[in-house]
Amino acid sequence: MKNIFLILFILITSFGSSQECNSVLTGKISDFHDNTTLENATIKIIGTNKITISDEQGNFEFKNLCKQTYKIEVSHIACKTKVVNIEVDGNTYKLISLEHHLEELSEVTVKAKEQTATKTAQETLIKIDVLERYSSLSLGDALKEVPGVSSINTGNTIVKPMINGLHSSRILIMNNGVRQQDQEWGIEHAPNIDINNAGQISVIKGSGALAYGGDAVGGVVVIYPSRTISIDTLYGRTILGGQTNGRGYNITTTLNKNYSSGWFAQVQGSYKRNGDFKAPDYNLTNTGLDSKGFSARFGKRNFESGLELYYSYLDNEIGILGASHIGSVFDIERAINSGQPLLIRDFSYDINAPKQEITHHLAKANYYKRFQGFGKVSLQYDYQYNQRLEFDVRIGDRRNIPAIDLTLQTHSILADVDLDSNLDRKVKFGIVGRYQNNFADPDTGVRRLIPDYDKYDFGGYVTTEWRISDELLVDAGARYDFSRVDAKKFYRTSRWEERGYDEDFADIVIEELATQILTNPVFNFHNISASAGLNYELNSKNTVLFNYSLSSRPPNPSELFSDGLHHSAARVELGDLRFDKEVSNRVSLSHSYNTDRLNVLSEVFYNRINNFIYLRPFDFILTGRGPFPIWEYQQTDAELYGIDLTLTYDISDKVQFSNKSSLTKGYDLATDMALIDIPPFSTINQIRYTNPNWKNFSASLKSEWVFEQNEFPDFNFEVEDQLTEEMVLIDISTPPSAFHLIHFYSEATFDLSEKTKLNIGLGVNNIFDESYRNYLNRLRFFADDLGRNFTLQLQLNY
Amino acid sequence: MKINYLNLNAMKTTKFLFKTMLCLALVTSFTSCSDDDDPAPVNEEELITNLTLTFTNTTNSGDVVSMSSVAPDGLEEGLSTEIVSGSFTSGATYALTIGLTNASESPAEDVLNGDIIPEADEHFFVYAVNGLNFAMTRDASDIDGPDGSKLGVNTTWVAGAASTGNLQIRLIHEPGTVDDSDEFGSATGGSEDFNITFTGVAIN
Repeated sequence: MKNIFLILFILITSFGSSQECNSVLTGKISDFHDNTTLENATIKIIGTNKITISDEQGNFEFKNLCKQTYKIEVSHIACKTKVVNIEVDGNTYKLISLEHHLEELSEVTVKAKEQTATKTAQETLIKIDVLERYSSLSLGDALKEVPGVSSINTGNTIVKPMINGLHSSRILIMNNGVRQQDQEWGIEHAPNIDINNAGQISVIKGSGALAYGGDAVGGVVVIYPSRTISIDTLYGRTILGGQTNGRGYNITTTLNKNYSSGWFAQVQGSYKRNGDFKAPDYNLTNTGLDSKGFSARFGKRNFESGLELYYSYLDNEIGILGASHIGSVFDIERAINSGQPLLIRDFSYDINAPKQEITHHLAKANYYKRFQGFGKVSLQYDYQYNQRLEFDVRIGDRRNIPAIDLTLQTHSILADVDLDSNLDRKVKFGIVGRYQNNFADPDTGVRRLIPDYDKYDFGGYVTTEWRISDELLVDAGARYDFSRVDAKKFYRTSRWEERGYDEDFADIVIEELATQILTNPVFNFHNISASAGLNYELNSKNTVLFNYSLSSRPPNPSELFSDGLHHSAARVELGDLRFDKEVSNRVSLSHSYNTDRLNVLSEVFYNRINNFIYLRPFDFILTGRGPFPIWEYQQTDAELYGIDLTLTYDISDKVQFSNKSSLTKGYDLATDMALIDIPPFSTINQIRYTNPNWKNFSASLKSEWVFEQNEFPDFNFEVEDQLTEEMVLIDISTPPSAFHLIHFYSEATFDLSEKTKLNIGLGVNNIFDESYRNYLNRLRFFADDLGRNFTLQLQLNY
Repeated sequence: MKINYLNLNAMKTTKFLFKTMLCLALVTSFTSCSDDDDPAPVNEEELITNLTLTFTNTTNSGDVVSMSSVAPDGLEEGLSTEIVSGSFTSGATYALTIGLTNASESPAEDVLNGDIIPEADEHFFVYAVNGLNFAMTRDASDIDGPDGSKLGVNTTWVAGAASTGNLQIRLIHEPGTVDDSDEFGSATGGSEDFNITFTGVAIN
């Protein structure tokens, strides 16, 4: 088709040449980005043999042109070749701008150059080839590739990322430019993100990435979609996987259609299913998963402007270990002392109560335009709809009615400006406005865990990045956020008085019912956050990064409003309306040492958090189910510090050794106690053999050694068995013993045709079927963790 | 052909910012008028607020021992108060009647006959005594419980030698295994809907 046009074009131009042809075309070639002139650009009139090169001032000239429209091709080293139509009518002058910072600006680059979101923070990228190995698992599992990142689990399918000992509301997740809003305050609420949607993930420890938010006391996880490429092509990827443990299977397919004009479209769908998992000695009854995901993107992406529309949908039905359903502290005591789950049934794919059913929709529209000599302006609107249903073990008609039914809707508008015309002095600023509504359906017949509320956020930030010299780069930023929560909450009159709210908050009561009162708490928070750091290359082998960040996090809805029974923990949890924001000061220092064969990265951090909010036991209530502990959110000053180490050493061309180790400590400074749920020391050693000549074969043996956490707060308690009048110890604090697991993974890639590749991956997790319990798994009181698991994955790229 | 590049850009930028502000304003105004409705109160449906155990002498209906546990916010998490009135007569036989109600609803909901008996295969009453001399049997007329057991709502108690001690009643929901061979009953797994001990019970 193109050739026909070309021939026509040549015919037309040759006809034209019979006319009067004495016009001169002069012009100048400059850089779009900073308006500097470009020397040595090649300028060619298509269909003729006329060709010239721009001079030192970027000028060029063609003589003897006719009165007609010429098609001119301009090319320059490291620039994207540009074709322009120029109408020559008499002597004509034309300015042509090219972009020669493509790679630095990372817009249209095809080459996967490491593009980090921050320059001085402790940031680690997880690339697509690693993410693909986690196709059957979750985001939280994949993030554990980064030393210092662990997870707090409820079973094996609810996996919440934990960065340097902090999780939930202290971690901000950006999913394709959208801040994930999915009731992330809850420790049993895993991020509703399909890992198969991610093209690359960046984990930033600490709150250095101010453009995303100022409340990331723990860190930021940035999920990027796969890159689009501006060539005419259609390609796809399909992954099929199967696992023996849980008899799981999963499939995901992505199709991409791209055009050289910059238009692109992508559709992706995933399905995952597994039945009851198995610990070495027994089935983990009711631990099945049914997950369906779909996403679509389309738009146009060029250097100068771009548009993207994105929609994603995820529906997860997650079974929660049946044996973890308890009614009283005596149940928990029996569960702990029995050493194995008190409900073990034959394998089944059925998912019964207790279970979660979560639906998450995300839609966004994004537009950017780059202005010559100025920078890039981006605008975005996004909407998220999150519905969380939690089904408890109930009786009668209520069996099919969820005990928790929350619908969270979030609208955000963002405007960002990237002033990058001077690459040595980059400045970025932006504003964000967000509105959120939470609706707790009263039809559950269970008092609301989280009240109805409206939340408004406004924020603005400025960040700057200065390259002082080839070796030294500094960055700094500041951010202000305003946040307002306007809730309508029912309190039991007894609780209202017991908390002393009747004295401190009498003015927020709107209605008094027989046993409950309706209140309208409104809270405004002003948060300042800031960050500054430097990146200094001492020499070709050593680089040092230093960063300081200040961040503030307003209390989340559960910290403010919780007042009720937490079934799976057999405790009453109470929030506090009097809470102030949490303020973190974090310093970090990283040193990387890189030689041809040895790479060592050491990252240390110290995080001091004032007004740190956490749950701790506080009192008892004597109920019809025996004594119940009351846990109360409290504010204290805390400190966390630690070191993360990554080492790789190429023993030979084909054999590589690597180690990832991480040590984190956390203390409550008011009581001198260790903080709860701090990951124990862990060290992962791996030896990997790769042979590119043999179908890219690789095989690795991994040893995962997790120590026993010996620093933990002793929240154990004794209750009286009223029947026997004896005291019974409930040991909910003692962490499980250390464990050591061996895993194996191997893969090879076969070329099926010129464009089709098949990658086969075979793995065995927990080869020796070791029985173990993980301190950071909330179901550790009830059952062992997973036993041996064989996995097979086929990946087709076409 | 574009000539006045810079001016045009500046204008466009202003336009963009203006649009953004407009959108933000729209969102706030749209939402601030949408939340006038107050939420409806939730009437807790699964509550048990009152448990009463009435032991009636089978030969003398005037000889009644009653035990009650009252928790206005529900037995599961609210403060509960236990009261025992009357004492057993050594050698007498008593029939036990259980009452389980949710008094937070009006009229009070009968939880025993409304919820538990219809799902007797998922529930099991377990009794225990400490220090008290009782012989207890699950009646032939008792309702069938899980796995061929008897639920434990219709029971007969024979008071033995004079003694004082504690009497416990538990309701287990979805027990793993149940055993009523000793009549008092035992269970593994499941969760306790309630676990109430009456202290200071006396047989005279």
